[in-house]
Amino acid sequence: MNKQIKEWINKLMPLAALVLVYIVFAFIAPPSFVSLKNLELIVRQTTIVGIASLGMTLVIIGGGIDLSVGSIVALVTVCIAWLLMAGCSPIIAALGGVFAGLVCGLINGALITRLKLVPFIITLGTLLVYRGCAKGLAHEQKIDAPLSWINELLAALKPEQSWMVVPAGVWMLILLAILIALVLKYTRFGLYVFSIGSNEQASRLCGVPIENVKLLIYGISGLFAGFAGLMQFSRLTVGDPTVASGLELDVIAAVVIGGGSLAGGEGSVLGTILGALIMTVIRSGCTQMGLSNWVQEIVTGIIIVVAVVLDRMRHKQQS
Amino acid sequence: MDRKPHLKTSLKPRPLAKFPSFPLPLGSLFAIALRCCLTGLTCLTCLTGLSACNREPETKAVTLALIPMGSTDEFWKSVHAGGVQASQKLGVNIIWQGPIRRDDRTAQIDVVENMIVRGVKGIILAPIDNMALRASVEDAYRNKIPVVIIDSNLNTDKSISFVATDNYKGGVMAGEHMVKILGAKGRVAMLRNVEGSASTDNRERGFLDTLKKVPGIKVVSSNLYAGATTESAYRASENLLAPLKLAKGDVALDGIFCPNESCAFGMLRALQDGDLTGKVKFIGFDSSDKLVEGLERGHIDALVVQDPVRMGYLGVEKLVDYLNGKTIEKKIDVPATLVTRDNLKDPTIKELVSPDIKKWLKE
Repeated sequence: MNKQIKEWINKLMPLAALVLVYIVFAFIAPPSFVSLKNLELIVRQTTIVGIASLGMTLVIIGGGIDLSVGSIVALVTVCIAWLLMAGCSPIIAALGGVFAGLVCGLINGALITRLKLVPFIITLGTLLVYRGCAKGLAHEQKIDAPLSWINELLAALKPEQSWMVVPAGVWMLILLAILIALVLKYTRFGLYVFSIGSNEQASRLCGVPIENVKLLIYGISGLFAGFAGLMQFSRLTVGDPTVASGLELDVIAAVVIGGGSLAGGEGSVLGTILGALIMTVIRSGCTQMGLSNWVQEIVTGIIIVVAVVLDRMRHKQQS
Repeated sequence: MDRKPHLKTSLKPRPLAKFPSFPLPLGSLFAIALRCCLTGLTCLTCLTGLSACNREPETKAVTLALIPMGSTDEFWKSVHAGGVQASQKLGVNIIWQGPIRRDDRTAQIDVVENMIVRGVKGIILAPIDNMALRASVEDAYRNKIPVVIIDSNLNTDKSISFVATDNYKGGVMAGEHMVKILGAKGRVAMLRNVEGSASTDNRERGFLDTLKKVPGIKVVSSNLYAGATTESAYRASENLLAPLKLAKGDVALDGIFCPNESCAFGMLRALQDGDLTGKVKFIGFDSSDKLVEGLERGHIDALVVQDPVRMGYLGVEKLVDYLNGKTIEKKIDVPATLVTRDNLKDPTIKELVSPDIKKWLKE
């Protein structure tokens, strides 16, 4: 009984932190901060990091890391803009972009499993490779693309669209989050991901197909980076090879704040989404108060460290 | 192995236990207390961090947002200084908020959206991108928040005004001065900035158009690009000068124009290293300490200098005028100034090349 309660408290920690940060800003930020419109803005601004961090949740639970997501996002925006300029219809361009993300992820997975190198090194390499591809494809410039429905995915809702409550991109985030949560909880693949992250050697001895599972994990991470890239393009309206540099750090931070352990075997979709929301709330609150950028960076950094300290304490407690 | 908790306990090597050495309830109590402390600490850091920064006084009625492309450059600090100057004079309050990562389009979109939700009365924006910021500005327009664009244009008709240096005129100014100091005859070269930069393209066009009208002047090179860094500009400058070099350290060239700071600095270094300073008339664009020093030593003949302080000032002033019901022009020129060795000592010019931004930003 006691143990169950503790487990619940642990699960609720990110939520408590989110509520806490929100309340702090509700008191000190201008009154606009608690408006419904701002809530919509916060979820809208969380979407890109949120979608990418769903894939990262799988990777981190599986004991790996994927540093290339920011570069994949940039490459995807360039691909979409390039396809649109080449005269493709928006749906083809969007699918093409997401597909490019998937391919990038599978390449990561293939390199990691075939070369048997640590994911940190491989994805550090592909971070540069994909960024370079994006710049090459765009000739080191941004690509202007004609406006299409893609740009509506994550735009502020117009009054006549209020029935949607939040823009389509946010709905996509919610659906994908539910999907990943279900996959982790109820499928054999989900169980394999946890087992590889907890102890790869033991899993191998138990007959878990490590290589295939890893390939799939990084493929999914790339696919979700592809979706994130689609959202990024929706916001930017141009294909920009320099966009989202450093996004991978936000994404990893979201997973870690949400209780993911970089040692593998731990993490949850709900926690990750809450982690991403916490960072957006801080950014939004600080911006609306007119605070300097360095304050936001320091506050976010402190929260990441505190989250990891809490995580370690939890481990000690459990053992 | 069908349930996760079992799997975990069975597979993971047990770390050294520390807490169980306490009596259990005490241990968990301690952990919870520590956790509360840490959470409290985070809050406290938040709060002190926030209160350490000056919160805007509540008494002022009108709050405007001034959004630059980045917040660390000298140019944008000068714009900020101008904005602060205007806000103090006009009794408004400005929020200075740049994108957290320099030149990050998404981050700037985030800032604009936050300012719209915050309900500022108006926005002065220097868009990083002439397309990507359209949606945000149109969103502001739907929310009846007027936007003044400064420095760099945005492809939208939803802004109320565009306050910037007319770069074409700046180029013409450089061209006219070049004609003057060369006595309307000679061979002139121009090193371009980078491909696809609208502001420097206009400067280059203005310069070349002016020279075309003078029959005695021949443009010997105008197709080389300097690239984005000083290093690449230095290499491009060497490539430009190499084929023109003559025997006895002379060069078959009378005048050079560089349309921006990094480009001009690269050329300055190439001229100095090639021992060509003084032999070629050299006009640059924008100012920096090194360029001003070059001007003082006679290595540079003139600099066309923009006035970012004035740009920030006008941006705020025009927006306040608009809010007070005055009609304002769609396009407002912040004139560039020609700085030569002769007028460098002039106090107004001195203020222009090294503005006293510290006074206004209280740094």
